[in-house]
Amino acid sequence: MSRAKRWSAVALAATVAVAVAGCGGDGNGAATDVTGEVDLQGVELQLMGWSSSAAEDEALTRLLEKFNEETGANVRFNPVPEYDTTLQTALAGGTPPDVFYVDSYKLPDLVDAGVLAPIPDGVLTDSEGIYPSLREAFTYDGVWYCPPKDFSTLALVYDPEAFAEAGLEPPTTWQELRDAAEALTTDDRAGLVMGVEYPRWGVFLYQAGGGLTDPDVTEMTIDSPQSREGLEFIADLYAEGLAVSPSEVDAGWAGEAFGKGRAAMAIEGNWVVNALAQDFPDRKWAVAELPAGPAGKATFTFTVCYGVAATAKNPAASWALVDYLTSPEGALAWTQDFAVMPAHESVRDDWLAKWPDLEAFLAGAEYAHKWQFRPGFADVVGVFDEHAQAIVAGNSTVDKLIEATDSAGRDILG
Amino acid sequence: MVTLGQRGLARAGGRGRRNHLAGWLFTAPALLGLLVFLVLPILVTAWVSTRHWNGITSPFDSQPAGLDNYRELLTEPGVRRSDFAKALRNNFYYVLGVVPVQTFLAFVLAVILNQRFLKGRGFFRTAYYFPSITSSIAVALIFTFLFQINGLINAVLPGGRVNWLDNPNGLLHLLFRQLGMEQPPAWLAETELLGLSLWEWLSGPSVTLTAIMLLAIWTTTGTMMLIFLAGLQNINPSVEEAAIVDGATAVQRFWRITVPLMRPVIFFVLTLGVIGTWQVFDQIFAISFGGPQKTTLTPAFLIYTQLFANSKGGIAAAIAVILFFIIISFTLLQRWLTRER
Repeated sequence: MSRAKRWSAVALAATVAVAVAGCGGDGNGAATDVTGEVDLQGVELQLMGWSSSAAEDEALTRLLEKFNEETGANVRFNPVPEYDTTLQTALAGGTPPDVFYVDSYKLPDLVDAGVLAPIPDGVLTDSEGIYPSLREAFTYDGVWYCPPKDFSTLALVYDPEAFAEAGLEPPTTWQELRDAAEALTTDDRAGLVMGVEYPRWGVFLYQAGGGLTDPDVTEMTIDSPQSREGLEFIADLYAEGLAVSPSEVDAGWAGEAFGKGRAAMAIEGNWVVNALAQDFPDRKWAVAELPAGPAGKATFTFTVCYGVAATAKNPAASWALVDYLTSPEGALAWTQDFAVMPAHESVRDDWLAKWPDLEAFLAGAEYAHKWQFRPGFADVVGVFDEHAQAIVAGNSTVDKLIEATDSAGRDILG
Repeated sequence: MVTLGQRGLARAGGRGRRNHLAGWLFTAPALLGLLVFLVLPILVTAWVSTRHWNGITSPFDSQPAGLDNYRELLTEPGVRRSDFAKALRNNFYYVLGVVPVQTFLAFVLAVILNQRFLKGRGFFRTAYYFPSITSSIAVALIFTFLFQINGLINAVLPGGRVNWLDNPNGLLHLLFRQLGMEQPPAWLAETELLGLSLWEWLSGPSVTLTAIMLLAIWTTTGTMMLIFLAGLQNINPSVEEAAIVDGATAVQRFWRITVPLMRPVIFFVLTLGVIGTWQVFDQIFAISFGGPQKTTLTPAFLIYTQLFANSKGGIAAAIAVILFFIIISFTLLQRWLTRER
């Protein structure tokens, strides 16, 4: 390019930048340096997260390479195997990564410790289209901290051939679930396999109108007739042998049990699709929404967001990266190769075009409950899990579970 | 004569001082390493146990807690205290099961391998030591595979299908049930210690914990065997020969000559075993994650969950300090039991 042309190109770019910067800001004090055009040339950023497969690694690296090309930045993805311990060490040591994954479960702990920066106004280009339940999952004390990168929900994975043989339709109510499990249980195959822990059993409590706690996690609601109804429904399924725990059928988790053909139905999330494709490619599967209980439909949503450290050395650049990754286009690009779902309603149909069999998971976004409590509450969930295992082993009763969990929760919640 | 001697002494004194200095210089790097990476972290941990640390921000920014963390673990009724009690109970049975068995087995193997007439000692030594150098996580995963309900262990066991990996039934409870005691007597079920009833304290290790104990014994017997072998080879063979000449049988030789001469080595192996078993973590993390029903929960695993899942760094540090005192007490008790009489 000739010298004159180069200089006029620079002048044009500078004018555009100034103009856009002028109309990008919104006068919110410290936030003005974060909005508008951000110069990312040569900026080094570290994105820390985890990777459940090499393919996921590759997909994110491709996305980041595209970002690096377009903006001239140098963003590095740092997947770590033991994410919680590495992140906490980095935060406690004062050298946090610029952007990092935040599971909705960990959000309260990080916010209470003051290490997460809330989203400044105007940084996200399209935040209106994010599902309200997901936005809610990352809002703590009324402040929205980070946009979700994707989400998964729980649904009922079933064996379409077994259902066709037995002449059944996927169940839509509790009674139909029970009937289907009964019809499909044979000597070497269980009707339903489900992990024995609150992240699975909890959906039944919600479907009955109860739950472990109220939505704000300030008081325990496990000792209510609705929660009791949900618990008794599940306990009966296990007691009658219609439902089994994964270890009873020599599997590490419900997805493996289903993949090996040891069960006709499993309650799992989107990740089971990737696992089945990888480990059990010959297994036929289909997905249906979880059956509705007396109080309607309910499921859990498991979601992760991109958080920016409160002490990030270049918050403007970090938020620009987050915006790129969580925009509808970025979210769609990321969720093309894996069965996780984009958090924007606007790209719903595009995603379904690629994954038409997974509509049941996506439908769950309307009525999903977030997987989140308060710091220190993990002990109470541990008590629930312990007694749930006892119920399945035949050592305990629903009453004892409710009593122990209620008193432990009341201790911790104060 | 005297002047020569005095001069000699003076020279020795000068060399002595230089030797002193040289000694300190040579050990300084190691001492510095020990101080920075061992002593300092222990002191900081003890200090953190008196703070409310969330494990996420710097501990120096935390609020003081006094003895609150210890109170939560030891005196206040609640889930944290009962979890800690379960961890102590489980680890106590683990120590009781693993240490005597692995010490005895290692000693017997070492005595066998020490016999001069045994062919292929090198091969056997390698074979017995091999489990100790393999990755504990890899071994744990293989054991999970073997102990499945449809796995190899159940295939060769005469009893049939035992649920190894998801079985919370304590061995002592199973024994009591065989002896006819289905329900505990009232005084056992009512009295509580640290939030657990005495009946729960007397549960014995659960079947899953027993599987993990078998794994641990298999892994560490080799290391202890090598230590015993080294100790046995230090015994002068003429002592044995003299005993044979005096008419001692093999059993008499074993109990009256070998064992007493090996006393310091036995103490060393027992101490190593106790310290190692009170800190068991790898196998729990890889196989059972504290379940089923918290019967494989151990203090080391509790430290991990309290710090990373619960953001309670102060409680984790307090557990570590209490564990330290437990291990010290066990070691002192052992020292007293194996003292020279």
